[in-house]
Amino acid sequence: MNELEQAGLARLRDGWISGGAMFELAPVEWKEVAAASSPDEQERRLLAIAAQALDVALRPAVPKTLKRRPPLPVLALPMLPDRLRPLLRAALKHAADARRKALVVKLVASRGFVTHPMDWMPAATDQTAPDVYAPWVDWQASAEQGPHEKLSAENWADSYPAARRVALAALRRSEPAVARRLIETKAPAESAETRLSLVELIRIGLGPDDTPFLKSLAADRSGKVRELAGRMLAMLGEHGEGGPDVPVAELAGFIEEGKAGFIRRRTTFGPAKTKSHVQEQRRAELFELSNLVDLAARFGVTEADFITGWQFGTDNNADVHLARMVVASGSDGAVVHMADTLIAAGGKTALLVLHLMPRLDTGRQRVLIRQILKDAQFPAALGQAQGIDAGWLDWDDLSNGRFLAVLRNGISAKEDPARRTAEEIVETVGYLATATAAARFIDEVVAAGLPPASPSLGLLRLNAALAENPSQSDR
Amino acid sequence: MQLDLKTIEALAPDQASLGAAAKLTKRSNWPRLEMNEQLGLIWGECQGSGSNPYRVVFDTGDHGYKCTCPSRKFPCKHILGLMWIGATAPASFDRVDQTPEWVNDWLGRRRKPGQQSAPTAASPEGKSIDEASRPGQSAPVEDAAAVERREAAQRKRAEDTRSAVSAALDELDQWIADQLRLGLAGFVDACSERCRRIAARLVDLKATALAGRIDELPARLMALRSEEKPDAAIRELGKLVLLAKAWRAMPNDAELKRLVSTSETREQVLANPQAVQVESDWEVLGEKIETRRDGLVSHATWLLDLVSSTPRFAVLLDFFPASAGRRSGAFAPGDRFKARLVFYPSRNPLRALVAERLGDVSPGTWPDFTLDVAGDPLAAYAAFQDDAPWLADCPVILPRGAIALDEKDGAWWQAANDPHGIALPVAGSVSQTLLGLDLAATAALWNGARLELLASQSSIGRLDLS
Repeated sequence: MNELEQAGLARLRDGWISGGAMFELAPVEWKEVAAASSPDEQERRLLAIAAQALDVALRPAVPKTLKRRPPLPVLALPMLPDRLRPLLRAALKHAADARRKALVVKLVASRGFVTHPMDWMPAATDQTAPDVYAPWVDWQASAEQGPHEKLSAENWADSYPAARRVALAALRRSEPAVARRLIETKAPAESAETRLSLVELIRIGLGPDDTPFLKSLAADRSGKVRELAGRMLAMLGEHGEGGPDVPVAELAGFIEEGKAGFIRRRTTFGPAKTKSHVQEQRRAELFELSNLVDLAARFGVTEADFITGWQFGTDNNADVHLARMVVASGSDGAVVHMADTLIAAGGKTALLVLHLMPRLDTGRQRVLIRQILKDAQFPAALGQAQGIDAGWLDWDDLSNGRFLAVLRNGISAKEDPARRTAEEIVETVGYLATATAAARFIDEVVAAGLPPASPSLGLLRLNAALAENPSQSDR
Repeated sequence: MQLDLKTIEALAPDQASLGAAAKLTKRSNWPRLEMNEQLGLIWGECQGSGSNPYRVVFDTGDHGYKCTCPSRKFPCKHILGLMWIGATAPASFDRVDQTPEWVNDWLGRRRKPGQQSAPTAASPEGKSIDEASRPGQSAPVEDAAAVERREAAQRKRAEDTRSAVSAALDELDQWIADQLRLGLAGFVDACSERCRRIAARLVDLKATALAGRIDELPARLMALRSEEKPDAAIRELGKLVLLAKAWRAMPNDAELKRLVSTSETREQVLANPQAVQVESDWEVLGEKIETRRDGLVSHATWLLDLVSSTPRFAVLLDFFPASAGRRSGAFAPGDRFKARLVFYPSRNPLRALVAERLGDVSPGTWPDFTLDVAGDPLAAYAAFQDDAPWLADCPVILPRGAIALDEKDGAWWQAANDPHGIALPVAGSVSQTLLGLDLAATAALWNGARLELLASQSSIGRLDLS
């Protein structure tokens, strides 16, 4: 199409937009082709020519700048072979939430593969993905930060709140002091809700340098912000507006000290009975605000002595609060001591170790899982365990005890809840089992009555199909 | 795996379904029949009246089933036919260890067996396998006079239709002239209402296919930025003018009739000696599923010929009522199979039927089409338009390139190391992951304004983009 035709097309286009007969404005060559007895027919013919010119001779104007993303990093492990991707997708589809999807991905990584990025990709904020995915998490985060790679007071208003929060979280990870100063500068002008979400980011890389800022929040207009700052100060061994001893002193009031044993008298600690729901809530808050070492010191004992003296089983809620406090603020030794104490106690009490899992070594984690399977009293607790390695549970572990018998009963139960619980256990075993054990376990549960096509078997089937030592052709 | 005829009898919704199922028990109706004994599943593909074979799966354990056909009978004749073969000729099924992904999808979606009501122990009253198995009564033989009367009636109907369509095109011409006179700015603003009115008139005058196309015009315009809409309106209306003129010149042309009034039946296409037939290896590039304003869902499955040295495509097109609910496709993107396709007669044969399915093809990359990176990636589109300027969507294979974003986060396909600055806008949003991948080749549909991505070959293998 020559320049005259292009100019003519532009005139026709502008004319037709506003309406009317445009025949006289057309290029001469087009008029020759479109000439007809009826004015309407002439316009239609011109329209047909213009349509073809737009379709074939013109291309969409390319923007001045087109941004390309950096190449997606190649990960250290090979991608899952194509033949196994349908099994992966089936397992991911059945995984109801992000935590369960993460288990599928961890199992795959434990067998030496990563997912295809179109099947599963970690989010920019994903902190649970296996380490091998770190380059992809960073790649995602760099995309969400957009053009402003580094947030500053000057470009603060250029981003939407969600993008700004992601950028701020990234800044907090890389330059915590800069991020804190930015929050300090900008948060006072924000609403209470936004201030709360900004101050929450201080949790990332929380350290003693943050103490002055957190203490300054004691004067914040929002009670929620003041409370949040107080909790973070407690994690740092500092205390908020009430002074250092107030939470521990108040918590000690909820704990009764006693003596036990006829020959060797020893000190015991147990939860005092709460009189109301409000008291129960306050006790929970105080456990969250206090450190184990301070609480033990309040009673004049070491962390280990306090745990040894605690009367587990008296009040389940108090036991759970204590376990959470230990995992949040206890020393490594205290965590191990508590885990050993609980496992030795066995039964339902041992299940409290599930709260300590994230800080336990692999050996102790496995001991607990084996004990749960062997006792078979609370097999559903398997599903609550977090931070455990994938793919190590062998057939002996599964068949040593009453676990399989209890599971068979669950599968064949008439009640939906019992069947659903059994299916959840099957799914958890799909994550924990070795490939060999997974294959055998499938036969076992199918023989017990679980439909062979049940989606609950998805992770087990993927597990069984993932060879322990993948062949070179799969890599 | 146990299946017996009594179960089939009990599950069948009525005697007519059993009768229809009996006709489907011939092995030739089923290009694929497979079973997984471990899972207790049987499945197959049954060649029905659509372009695609229907995918049918049955769980012998709890009698759960799924078929991709639009029937509202549950179970449909395809399920019953599959069960029937399973009960009477289990050797017809190939034993396999793996289930196809579409079966896995169904397994993942279906209700848990515990929640499912047990198969009704329906009384087979009024339904009988024996009766269904009997050969049907032969149709009465027509005498010569009756045949002539019937043919005369057909000719008259065809003549009436042609007159009606001609009148429809006259109205369309006038309507287009009116839009130009009133201004395209107003047309773009009131497009939905104006198109609806003329589409209704075209339906009344038997230009059904054309009416459907005009009904979809507002949606096509809505997908564009406001500054692009007038150009798109000129293109669309201009194509309608060309189509109307072409039909007037050749009212018996099969392609033009299909685009203006009605399409041939499957049987007519298969019986047409002029229909192009291609036996080759095919890969499913992707699917395009659209709910139309007339209440139908159009389901297009795009295929790529893996043997041809130049890009050759086919599209399997099916329509079903939106009220029939979500249907899974007969093929999944990435599936590869050997088949003989019969193309609807056309200047650019694209729409096709699977005449014969000849087995699966192993996964792999696309052929090397030796695409010219420095050339015009839309050269094929220009040639396509030369032959049939009234068509809108054209499949293309783009050379090595990548996806980039403009300032408004709109996606563009951009040729790699392109000296001419060629880039084409992409419809809709794209996966962020795609922005970090180099695309060795990309299959897409170009409609004159946007690319609809179907699939790509990349350093990490095939990417499903549809």
